[in-house]
Amino acid sequence: MNDLNIQETERTPEIKLSVSDGVFSIRGESFPEDVSAFYGQVIESIDLLKENIPDRFQVIIELIYTNSSSIKALYRIFEGFESIRQGGGNLDILWYFQEDDDIMEELGEDFHDRFPDLKINVKPKN
Amino acid sequence: MEISQAIDIRAAMRKSGTIMAYNGEVSDDLMVTLADLLKNRMKQMDDKKRSRTVFSIFMEGMQNLIWHSGKDGSAAGMVCISQKEDEITVICGNRVLKENALALETTLKELQAADKDTIRQLYREGMSKSSKHDGPGAGLGLLEIARRASHPISFAFIDVDASHVDFFLAARI
Repeated sequence: MNDLNIQETERTPEIKLSVSDGVFSIRGESFPEDVSAFYGQVIESIDLLKENIPDRFQVIIELIYTNSSSIKALYRIFEGFESIRQGGGNLDILWYFQEDDDIMEELGEDFHDRFPDLKINVKPKN
Repeated sequence: MEISQAIDIRAAMRKSGTIMAYNGEVSDDLMVTLADLLKNRMKQMDDKKRSRTVFSIFMEGMQNLIWHSGKDGSAAGMVCISQKEDEITVICGNRVLKENALALETTLKELQAADKDTIRQLYREGMSKSSKHDGPGAGLGLLEIARRASHPISFAFIDVDASHVDFFLAARI
């Protein structure tokens, strides 16, 4: 099992992965002191999914603030999603932003632009 | 320092509308402490969008200082945030090697001349790039600052000695 259950801290988000439920979520702020150490296991866990592609995979991203190095790590995670899709996986990505948060809304659009084949739904969180 | 010098510093800070200023050794701990202070300060602002932008620019600027500190001969950096009427300015400064300054200046000039759509496109392309020299953000931090600022960024290079220059970057929000 490569499930994840990472608790939120003031500078790192909560990250959950349940392989059996086919759910992955990231919530909170992201500016870890060591980005590779924090996201390494997450990138690895998502990469492993292409060995055993879930029928349905729901991704929920709900970030408040993220620094540029976390965005790079997130890009790696999205590459993992893309591999799952190419392997025949059915992914649904929900990218939530706070109603008036242009920065996170635009970042969602940027990911959508970079991964046009992924189903990414950028929408405000009510 | 003499009291008179402190009075001069205070006068200069008041005149420029300084909200927060730091000069000295930079570290990750310092960034988190200042980020907390800034967040609290920004909570008093009504404009949430703008306070997010200021926070984002401040964070990228600080991370840039931390990444380059020590590498180019000095662990020191400067950051100041000021407000004049309705405009907030974030300025970061650090010492860089002269040999690296030229490439940096070229990038900055390009960013200065680019429109918002071009910057966004460069940002999107930058999301997948990695670079050992530019640090964990691999140049994305600079693009983030240029993208979020409400006017083109401004910068200055001041000669220090044969091999070093002081680099300053300002973003207005």
